[in-house]
Amino acid sequence: MKKFTALLLAVFMIFALCACGGNSNTPEDEDTVTFVMGIDPEYPPFSYLGDDGEYTGFDVEVCKAVCDLLGWNFEIFGVNWDQKLIQLDADECDCVWAGMTLLDSMKEAGYVLSAPYYDSTQVILVKADSGIATADDLAGKTVAVQLGTSGEALLAEDGDLADWAATFKDLITCDSFLSCFSELGGGSVDAVFVDKPVAAAFVAENEGYVVIDENLGAEQYGIAFRSGDEELCKAVEDAVAQLVENGTYAKIAENYPDIVNNLIFLN
Amino acid sequence: MTLMTMIVKMTEGLSKTCAIFFLTLIFSLPLGMIIALLRMSKNKIVSNVTRFVISVLRGTPLMLQLLAVTYGPYYLFDFAVSKNKLIPVVIAFAINYAAYFSEIYRGGIESMPVGQYEAAEVLGYTKAQTFIRIILPQVIKRIMPSITNEVVTLVKDTSLAFTVSYQEMFTIGKQIANSQTSFTPFVVAGVFYFVFNAIVDFVMGKVEKRMDYYK
Amino acid sequence: MVLFEVNGVQKSFYEGRLHVLKDISLSVSEGEVVSIIGPSGSGKSTLLRCSTFLETMDAGEIKYMGETAAHNVNGKAVYVSPSELKKFKGYFGLVFQQFNLFPHYSVLKNLIDAPLNVQKRDREEVTAEALVLLEKMGLSDKAEAYPCQLSGGQQQRVAIARALAMKPGILFFDEPTSALDPELTGEVLKVIKQLAEENMTMVIVTHEMAFARAVSDRVIFMDGGVIVEQGDPEKVLVNPVEERTKQFLRNYQR
Repeated sequence: MKKFTALLLAVFMIFALCACGGNSNTPEDEDTVTFVMGIDPEYPPFSYLGDDGEYTGFDVEVCKAVCDLLGWNFEIFGVNWDQKLIQLDADECDCVWAGMTLLDSMKEAGYVLSAPYYDSTQVILVKADSGIATADDLAGKTVAVQLGTSGEALLAEDGDLADWAATFKDLITCDSFLSCFSELGGGSVDAVFVDKPVAAAFVAENEGYVVIDENLGAEQYGIAFRSGDEELCKAVEDAVAQLVENGTYAKIAENYPDIVNNLIFLN
Repeated sequence: MTLMTMIVKMTEGLSKTCAIFFLTLIFSLPLGMIIALLRMSKNKIVSNVTRFVISVLRGTPLMLQLLAVTYGPYYLFDFAVSKNKLIPVVIAFAINYAAYFSEIYRGGIESMPVGQYEAAEVLGYTKAQTFIRIILPQVIKRIMPSITNEVVTLVKDTSLAFTVSYQEMFTIGKQIANSQTSFTPFVVAGVFYFVFNAIVDFVMGKVEKRMDYYK
Repeated sequence: MVLFEVNGVQKSFYEGRLHVLKDISLSVSEGEVVSIIGPSGSGKSTLLRCSTFLETMDAGEIKYMGETAAHNVNGKAVYVSPSELKKFKGYFGLVFQQFNLFPHYSVLKNLIDAPLNVQKRDREEVTAEALVLLEKMGLSDKAEAYPCQLSGGQQQRVAIARALAMKPGILFFDEPTSALDPELTGEVLKVIKQLAEENMTMVIVTHEMAFARAVSDRVIFMDGGVIVEQGDPEKVLVNPVEERTKQFLRNYQR
């Protein structure tokens, strides 16, 4: 029995050692720039874990193409969305680029922001049989929103939609949109206030839900860089412009039909 | 995503979960003893400062401590954030768990009958010999159930490493869950944790049994 | 030869509010067996604990083998340095009321651990001696047992053997049978009697009057922190002079 215990321990230790060594994989060429893209790994269709277990998404593919074009090494860092700007500050990634709403507060805090590339609207996701048809029907209802999203900012007490939010019976904040959807499915909330593409992707895969789109809280997505990184921002913007020109951008967008109508550079 | 891909992906994260788990134990168990001895110091300043530190470590969320250890040095001293997240994660976990272990040790040490110290003193053992040869082995036996409790909690707490983007098993599970709009990864995670803890229970049970030869 | 000597021992607790020992002097010669009797609270255990350095006395003098371990300076007891004190601890052994065996060690290990790690003696020699001691205690078959597997009487005999394994010049007993069931005291007293016959120097705090009478060369009666009466066992226990002694013995026989 002692041997068995020892064996178990040994197996665990090997696991542990693998994890220690795992981080320094590719020795880099000193001359090549490495561009670390900070993504929210839980935000389809912009950035997420694909069926093969690798990160993918519209933003990820565009960024990869940008790096190819500029001859940079491409790396991905999955941020904790609540801490994304701390992690950007701390040099863990070179940008945050993951369906991120551009906020005035970011500009005021000194972050360099790219030109917007996506017009986002927030929509209301409800069950098809809920009888809710317009935004005003939510008065007296319970609504869920994801922590740290622009939807949450809009509904907050000092947000643009605060007056509307005040008519809700209750506003619940979930830590991921999967929790929001689970609350909705389970009947504990009546509606979820969420980014349009996320809702569209969900409705495409799940029956019995509808999206109410009243063009609420129009926002724009862009890329955030650390303060002082104007040149880096410019380089990325120029590269994206080239991708739009040579058609690569449109080709990538074909894989993401839910969002294609809101992509600024294609419309 | 197939269930197989999901499990493979999460198993990769499991190695990091194991790394947090084992390294935390390796560092926090001895560190806890040092803290316990400082806490019991006859020097009032030392013992009170230690007591304060313990109460801060036990009184604030581990998640906050993870953020403080990982990003604090950057904000305060402009130090670069470690590329290998395992380092700050293990530091935060080890310090936090050492605080809990120290109080368990202290309880165990203070529960020892004074007769054991006196017998050792009369026989001429030095203070260090008394502690290492006579007191500590008996304390370990007494506190084993409480230690097991903490170790089981540690297995589950490893998931907090997501706070600083350390890709351990639960972080990956969460990513899959949200990327694929599926609850399955959470079920898989639950099974992983349960099996992990079943092994922990088994091993700790063996250890306790080995010390069962005396009362 | 005087092996052990204390002079003018003073000890109080609670910052002087409880005066337990008031000027106690006592000397024990080689081969002598001294019993200390007296009501509880008379200070006899405290005297033993001061003699074995478990308590620090306020004033007084302690000598072992003619060497001074503590003496008075301006009316206060001053001890030798801790490293020197270690040498003095080798001169005596102490058997506790509650045995205080090490529960995580086997009987044999209880006996040999201190000789090996404190006295740094040879393992084979120490083990051989320990086995002889166990045989003498009638515990040859218990060498590998653990204290929790033994009866109280057996545990106390192991404790005596553990003290003897250190080869002390003088052995102190602090009420060695008080924690035992009455039917188990006999086996422990028998062992102590046997040691007396071998001329072991011993100081025994006890409530066993018949035993004290049988085994002692001298009996000391303490009360209220002073030695009230001492001398031949027959004299102190059968024909005491002091009224307090008579009173104590009367109460005791009831």
